[in-house]
Amino acid sequence: MNSELTPQESLRLIEGMIGQARRSFSRMSFYFLLWGVLLIAAMVATYLLRYNTTGWQHGAPWGVAGVLGGLISAIHGAREGKREQVSNPMDTTIGWLWGSFVITMLLLIAFTVTGRADTTIVVTMLTGLPTFITGQIMRFRPLQLGGIIFWVAGGAMMLLNSALATLVLYCTAMVLGYILPGILLKHHEDGLRAA
Amino acid sequence: MGFAPLDPVLHNQLRLAVVSLLIAVDEADFNHLLDRTGATRGNLSVQLSKLKEAGYVEIIKGYKDNYPNTRCRLTKAGIAAFDAYVRAIKGYLGP
Repeated sequence: MNSELTPQESLRLIEGMIGQARRSFSRMSFYFLLWGVLLIAAMVATYLLRYNTTGWQHGAPWGVAGVLGGLISAIHGAREGKREQVSNPMDTTIGWLWGSFVITMLLLIAFTVTGRADTTIVVTMLTGLPTFITGQIMRFRPLQLGGIIFWVAGGAMMLLNSALATLVLYCTAMVLGYILPGILLKHHEDGLRAA
Repeated sequence: MGFAPLDPVLHNQLRLAVVSLLIAVDEADFNHLLDRTGATRGNLSVQLSKLKEAGYVEIIKGYKDNYPNTRCRLTKAGIAAFDAYVRAIKGYLGP
């Protein structure tokens, strides 16, 4: 595999190799099967125990499923990671997407436990997810930090429980999470256009 | 209109195959490149060294499960060279 190439052969070779590389995804089926079974079991257990549990006990099957699923996934992921010969950007992004989902979900669970219904807090927490993932896909750190800021702001709003704190935190999160990365992105785009 | 010259480092079947594989991933280990290209160990090592000398590929030597492990990734110069090579090739093939 060392000979000189015609332009057609070069292009065919490039397309073939890129096609092969893009098919090198990690095997994801295990996680969907594991979590599908665990979460159905948790739902059924919650239903069956609905008259025998009170307060936090309602959430116990979900907690058990979450801890069990998290442990098994971590062990399986570590083993698979050792075998992987390729680090694929799509795998990395999928990992960050699910990681962000877990963070958002845990924040929302903590919020619903407080029994309050404040749409602003829910929306702020949810905003962290797409902001962080967009930053990850674009490999643009200010947006990744922006996502984290939305999560932290949502958590702080929940803990402080005050209209003024919500106002200040929401506006601060928007400035640091959207406006500042937006300005930096605009400079970057203008620079690319000028080049 | 003249044709753009083709980068001699990339205009080689095995080196082009390696760079095309690496362009689509963050990094890949030596055995993966060996599997996908069907090259011999010796030839792959030689061509990777040439890519490294050109500054197109970074070679990271480490250990995996207590065995030596070599991982390769494209550098920014390698990505730019591949991009220029593809544009030049398209110029040869016409619109």
